[in-house]
Amino acid sequence: MEGDSNRRRREVETRVLDKVGEVTTAIKSAKHVDQVICALHSLASLLFPLDSSLLSGILDQHYREEVLSIKAPSANERGDWWQAFYRGPGFSTLARILLLDVASDWLACFPLSARKYVYDTFFVNGPAAEVVQTLIPCLQQDGSDGIDVNAVHSNTERLVVLCLIENNGVLQIAGKFDNSCQSEDSADDCHKGTLSRVAQLVASIPDKARLRAPTSLSSHSFFKQITIQLLSGAEERDSTQSDKATTFNKFEIDGTLRFTGEIFSRICRRGSSDVLLSEVVPRVLRHVRGFSLSSNDAALSDLIQSNPGSEVWLKLMQAIKDPYAVERMSEQLLHQLAIERVSDTEAYWTLWLLFNRIFNHQMSIRSLFVDKFLLWKVFPVCCLRWILQFAIFEFPPDADPLSKDHDIQGFFDTVQRLAAVWSKKEFVQSTPMEQQAYVTAAVGLCLEKMSKEDLDKTKDVMHSILQGVSCRLESPTDLVRKMASCVAFMLSKVIDPTNPLYLDESCTGDTIDWEFGLTTPVKGTLSTSTFTDKDLKETKTSMTSVPKEDPNCKLKDEIDNNVKSRKKISEFKSIDPDEIIDPATLNYESVSDQDDDNASEDSDCSSDSLQPYDLSDDDNDLKIKFSQLVDVAGALRKSDDADGVERALDIVEKLVRASPDELTHVTSDLVRTLIQVRCSDLAVEGEEESAEEKRQSALVALLVTCPFESLDTLSKLLYSPNVDVSQRIMILDVMTEAAQELANSKVMKPKHQTRAIISTISETQPWFLPSSIGPPGAGTWKEVSETGTGTLLNWSNCYERELPSKSGQIKRGKTRRWSLKSENMQESQVEWSQNKFPLYAAAFMLPAMQGFDKKRHGVDLLGRDFIVLGKLIHMLGICIKCASLHPEASAMAPALLDMLRSSEVCHHKEAYVRRAVLFAASCVLVALHPSYIASSLTEGNLELSNGLEWVRTWALNVVDSDTDKECYMMAMSCLQLHAQMALQTSRALESSPEITIKTKGISLPSNRSKGTIKLPYLNAEY
Amino acid sequence: MSKRPPPDPVAVLRGHRASVMDVCFHPTKPLLFTGSTDGELRIWDTVQHRTVSSSWVHSAAHGIISVACSPLIGANKVISQGRDGTVKCWDIEDGGLSRNPTLTIRTNSYHFCKLSLVKMPHASAKVAEGPTHDSERESREIVDTERLHNSRGKTTGSEIECSTSHEDSAPAEGTNSVAVSGEQNSEVEIWDLNTAERIVRLSQNCSGGSPNISTKGRGMCMAVQAYLPSKSQGFINVLAGYEDGSMLLWDIRNPGIPLAAAKFHLEPVLSLCLDGSCTGGISGAADEKIVMYNLDHSTGSCLIKKEISLERPGISGISIRPDGKIAATAGWDHRVRLYNYRKGNPLAILKYHHSVCNAVSFSTDNKLMASASEDTTIALWELYPPTDLKWNSLSGHITIRAC
Repeated sequence: MEGDSNRRRREVETRVLDKVGEVTTAIKSAKHVDQVICALHSLASLLFPLDSSLLSGILDQHYREEVLSIKAPSANERGDWWQAFYRGPGFSTLARILLLDVASDWLACFPLSARKYVYDTFFVNGPAAEVVQTLIPCLQQDGSDGIDVNAVHSNTERLVVLCLIENNGVLQIAGKFDNSCQSEDSADDCHKGTLSRVAQLVASIPDKARLRAPTSLSSHSFFKQITIQLLSGAEERDSTQSDKATTFNKFEIDGTLRFTGEIFSRICRRGSSDVLLSEVVPRVLRHVRGFSLSSNDAALSDLIQSNPGSEVWLKLMQAIKDPYAVERMSEQLLHQLAIERVSDTEAYWTLWLLFNRIFNHQMSIRSLFVDKFLLWKVFPVCCLRWILQFAIFEFPPDADPLSKDHDIQGFFDTVQRLAAVWSKKEFVQSTPMEQQAYVTAAVGLCLEKMSKEDLDKTKDVMHSILQGVSCRLESPTDLVRKMASCVAFMLSKVIDPTNPLYLDESCTGDTIDWEFGLTTPVKGTLSTSTFTDKDLKETKTSMTSVPKEDPNCKLKDEIDNNVKSRKKISEFKSIDPDEIIDPATLNYESVSDQDDDNASEDSDCSSDSLQPYDLSDDDNDLKIKFSQLVDVAGALRKSDDADGVERALDIVEKLVRASPDELTHVTSDLVRTLIQVRCSDLAVEGEEESAEEKRQSALVALLVTCPFESLDTLSKLLYSPNVDVSQRIMILDVMTEAAQELANSKVMKPKHQTRAIISTISETQPWFLPSSIGPPGAGTWKEVSETGTGTLLNWSNCYERELPSKSGQIKRGKTRRWSLKSENMQESQVEWSQNKFPLYAAAFMLPAMQGFDKKRHGVDLLGRDFIVLGKLIHMLGICIKCASLHPEASAMAPALLDMLRSSEVCHHKEAYVRRAVLFAASCVLVALHPSYIASSLTEGNLELSNGLEWVRTWALNVVDSDTDKECYMMAMSCLQLHAQMALQTSRALESSPEITIKTKGISLPSNRSKGTIKLPYLNAEY
Repeated sequence: MSKRPPPDPVAVLRGHRASVMDVCFHPTKPLLFTGSTDGELRIWDTVQHRTVSSSWVHSAAHGIISVACSPLIGANKVISQGRDGTVKCWDIEDGGLSRNPTLTIRTNSYHFCKLSLVKMPHASAKVAEGPTHDSERESREIVDTERLHNSRGKTTGSEIECSTSHEDSAPAEGTNSVAVSGEQNSEVEIWDLNTAERIVRLSQNCSGGSPNISTKGRGMCMAVQAYLPSKSQGFINVLAGYEDGSMLLWDIRNPGIPLAAAKFHLEPVLSLCLDGSCTGGISGAADEKIVMYNLDHSTGSCLIKKEISLERPGISGISIRPDGKIAATAGWDHRVRLYNYRKGNPLAILKYHHSVCNAVSFSTDNKLMASASEDTTIALWELYPPTDLKWNSLSGHITIRAC
C-alpha cells in the first residue's frame, strides 16, 4: 500500500515534470502571446479549477478551440498534480520561466484576465511559503540574460503584494508552519531553518523593494500589514481553539507563534518596533481592559491565565528569541503605553500579561527590567512607576502594599543597587541630566515604598543616600540640588513621616515632580535637547514663581483685612460723626472741658480731651550716619554690633563711589573687612540677600574706583587659607562685575602728559636749568641777559623759552573768545575712553591665574573646590572679553589659553569647569583682534597659534564625546567663533602684507608665505 | 483712619553754638532762658522768637548745667549753675542780664546734677481742692508764713520787688534757697540765695537712720527737687534721686534721716519733677521707664502710681505743666514725649531734634513748651493749649503783665 502510493506519486511527478518541460519549450518557442497563454493554460487547468471559457474571449479563434478542448481533470487528480507540482522541482522551474522570461517578454501583452487566470494563479494558489521563497529572490534579479529588469521587478513586486498582502499570505505561511510543526516533529531542525529563512525573506521585502515599488511595500505599511495579519490570525486561532485550551502546554510554542515571533523580532531588528507596537498595544490593552481590574491580585492573574484569549499574549514574548528585539519591543511598549496615558493598573497588567512568564524564567529579561531599564535607559516617570511596580514590587499598584509575601529581598537589593549608583560622585559628574533625573526618580519612588524598619534592614542604603545628597547639594546646577532635596525629603519622610525635611522652599508639597520638569526626549537629537533647555528654564521660573504665590495670597488676605478694618472704621465713623480729624477744630472743641481747670479734679473724663497724636515711632533718625570710610571699616569689624554693620553696609558703596582722597589708603583694609564680614549672619532674617548685595556692590565700587589697591588685596585673599569657598566665589563674582563695569564706563579724562616722575641725572640739561617739563614743542631754556636793565650784579638767573601756542588758540582777528578752549579741545586735550578695563587687565588676570593649580591648606581648586575653579575661569573669560580688541587682550590671551590647556582644567571631571573653559576659550576667540593674530602668524609667534589650534581641536573633541549636553552645545558655538576668527584673520593676512610693502618698502613675501602655510589649520572650515 | 500726626514746633530758636543744657521760662514775662555747654546764657523773646540778650555767664570750658527762675526768688532774677562749681544769681535788666552776678555761690560741685529752686504748691492745686476751701487755706498759709517770719526774725521782704503775685506775697524763709548736689557728690546741699551760705547738708551716710531705710551705697545724687509742702510749716522738703535708681525724701528739719525711700529705677535717676500740688511727681532715669508716683507726707511714703515703659532708655529731663494736665519728657532718643499726667497714657512723640534732648519746660501760662537739645536748638511747641483764655487772662499773669 505504501509502495503503491509512492509509485503513484512518483508517476505523477514525472508527468508533472514532463508537462512543465512541455510548457517551457512551448513558451520558449512561442511566436505569439496566445501561444504562451495556451501553454500556460494547459498546465493551469491541470492544477487549478479553471473555467476555460473565461479565457476564450480574449484569444484568437484557433487558440480558443485549443483552450476549450482541454478537458479538466477530476478534483482528486488535480490534488495529486498540485502536490507534485509544488512539492517537486516543477514549480521552481516554471516560476523561473514565468518570473523572468514571461514577465519580461510576454506579460505586457497578456490581457488582464489571462494574466489573472493563467499567470498569477500559479503564485496565488500555491503554498505561500514556497511561493515566497521563489518570488523574493527575483526582487533583486539583475539583468544578465538580456531580460527586462524593470518589468521583472515590477511584476515581482506586484505578485508579492498580491500574495502576501491581499491574500493574507503571511498568515498562510504561519498556518502552514503550525501544521508542519505538528506533523513532523523529527525534522525540527530543518523545519526551524525553513521557518527562520522564510521569516527572514518576508521581513526583507521592504529592503529589497525598489524605490518605485508600490507604497504597500514600504517598510511602514508592509510591516503594519503583516503585523495585522499575524495578530488577527493569532487572536482568531485562540478563540477557535478555546475548547482545547487545556491541552496547551504552558511553555510549548507552536509553529505559528514561533513564526510570528521570528517575524516580529526581525521587524524590531529593522527598526520598525514602533509600527509593530502601534498594532500590538491597542490589542493588548483591549484584552486587558476586558477584565475587571479591580479584583485582587492572585484571582485576577488566574483569571487572565485561564482566559483562552490570553494565550497568544502570554506566549508572544516567549516566542521572540532575539534579546535585542525583546528589549526594543519592551521599550517601545512602555513609551506607547505612556503616550496612551493608560492607568497604572492597566499598564501593570499589560506588562504582566506580556512578560510575567519570561520574567520569572529568563534571567536576561529580569536583568533587562531590573538593571537596564532602571539604570541605563530613560523613560517617562509613569513608565518608571510601572517598571518598578512590575519588576521590583511585583504586585499591582492598587494592591495592599503591606502584604509582605512578595520578594522583599529582591526589592532591597534593587534599592541598594540604585542607591549605590545614585550616590557615586562620578554619576553626578558625567551622566546626562535626564539620566540623573530618572535614577533620582527611581530612588525616590523606591523610598516612597519603604518604611523605617525596611530601611534599617538594608545594609547601607541610608548611608549611600546621605552621601549622594551631600555631594549633590554642592553642585552648581540648580536641578541637581533640587534632586538632592527631593530625595532628602523622601528619606526624611521614611524616617519620620510626621516631620518631613524641606531643604528647599520650593518643594513644600507632599507630591514631588520626579520629572524635574525635564521632558524625556525619545531620541537624543539636538532639537529636543534645546527643548529641554527651555523646559529647564521654565522649571526655574516656575520654581521661583511658586513661592511667590504664597505672599501674594497673604497680601490679598491683608488687603481683605484692611478693607474689613476700614469698613469697621467707617462704621465707627458713622456712629460718631463728631470725631473730626482737623486738629484745629479739635482744639476749639476741647473748650468744652474748661471746667477742668476750675472744677473738680475727679472729672477724669475731662482729660479725655487730651486726644493722643499718632504715636507711631521709628528709629530711622537715630542711626548714626557714617561719613568716614575709616568709621565704616571699624563698624564692619564689630561683628557683635549687627546694627552698625548693617548701617555701614548701607552707606559704604556711596562713600566709596564718592572717591574721597583717603580712599587709596583705606582700600586694602576695607576690601579685607568687606570680604571677611559675615553679613548674612548679622543681617535680620529675610534681609540676608540685600545685605549680601550691598556688600558685593561695595566691593565692586572699590574695585572700580581703586582697582590696583583692591586687586592686590583680593588676589591675596583669593588663595588665602583664611577664606572659605563662598568668599572665594564672591571675590570672583565681584571681580567679574567690576571688570564689566570698568569696561562699560565712559569717562572723560584730560589727556595726561607723560612726564618722568624721577628725573635722571643723565639728562642732557644742566641741573640748574628749570625742568624741561612743559607742553610738547617747547623750546629750550635760554638765559635771559639782564644786562639791558643796567643792574651791575646779576643776582638771579632768569631763563626763558618759547612755548608753542596752544592748539586751536587763534590769535588773529578780532573774534572775541571767552576762553582759549577751542572746539577741538576734546580731541586734543581730553581723551575719551569707552573702556577703562584694558589698563587693569593684567592686574585682574595674572595674579588670579597664578595659583589655581596649587593645593594648599583649605585651597583645592582642581579637586574639591571645582566651583571656584569654574568661576575663576569664567571671570578670566569675562576679563579678556572686556579687554577685547585692545592690545592687552592679545597680551593676555596666550597666558589664558595656556592655563585652559592644562589637562586638569580642560579635562576636568565636572562639566561645570569644562563649560567655563569653553566659555573662556570663546571669549578669547572674540577678544583677539584679527590683525594681531595675523601679525603673530607672520612673525612666527607659535604660542598663540598653537593655543588657538588647541581650542579648535579640543572643541571638536568635546562636540564628539562630551556627556554634558550644554558642553557640546557650547563647543559648537566655540567652533563657530573659531571659524569666524579664522576668516577674519585670513582677510587680515591678505590685506596686511601689501600695506606693509607699500609703506615700508620691505619685501615680506617670505613671511607672508610662512603665514599662509600656517593658515590651513586656522581656517580649516574654509 | 490715621491719627493726626504729631505737631511740629511752632518756632525753633537757633543761636547757641553748643549743646543747650537747660531751658526755663520767665514766670511772668514772655522770656525764655537757655544755657549751653559753652557757658552762654541766652534770653529769648517767646513772642518774637528772637534773642534778647546773650551773655557768657560761665566759662566756656565748663559750661552751664542749669538755668532756673522762679517767682519765689523774684521775677527779675535768674539763676545759672555751671560746671565750674558755682551757682550764680543774675538780675534781669532792660537789655538783658546784669553785668555781674548779684550773687555767686561756690558749691564746688562739679558734676551733672541740676540745681533745684524751691517749689511751692501751685495756685492751681488750691483751685483743684475746691473753691470752698480756697480762702480758708490761703489764709492759713499766710498765717504760717507770718509766723515763720516772726519766729526767725528775718525779713525777706526786701527781695520782693513785684509783690502783686499772691505767691510772692508770702515769701517763706526757705523759699529763697537752692538745692544742689553737694561737694560730696552723694550729698544734697541747700544754700541760701541771700547769703550764699549753706543751710544744710543732707548726707545719706549720716548715722542714726531708721533701720528700714538703707542709706548705704546709693552713689551720687543725680537729680534733686526741693519743695515746700503745704503741711511742713515752711520747711523745705527735698526729693533726691541717686545713682542706683533710688530716691530719698528729706525734710530739712531732720537732715539725719530721710522721710521716705523708694527704688523705682534700675539705673541712675536723671530727672525728677513734682506736680503743682507737690503730692505727686514723675521720675525719669537712664533705664527704659518713667515712673509716676504719689507722695504722702503724713506717712512718709512714696507710692508708685503708674509705670510707663519706653522703647529706648534715657530720660534726661521731665516737666509737668503747671495745670497738671500733661507732662513732657526729654529723651536721649531725640524725642520729646508727652503724657497725660493724670492718666499716664502717652499723648504724643515729638520728633524734631536730631540729637539728645536735655530739658523740657512749660511756660507758666501753660501755653508753650520749650525743649532744649544737644543739636544747639530750642524748639517751642504749642500743645493742648489751655482752653479758657478768658479765665487765664483774668486770673492774673496777663493782667499783671499789662500793668
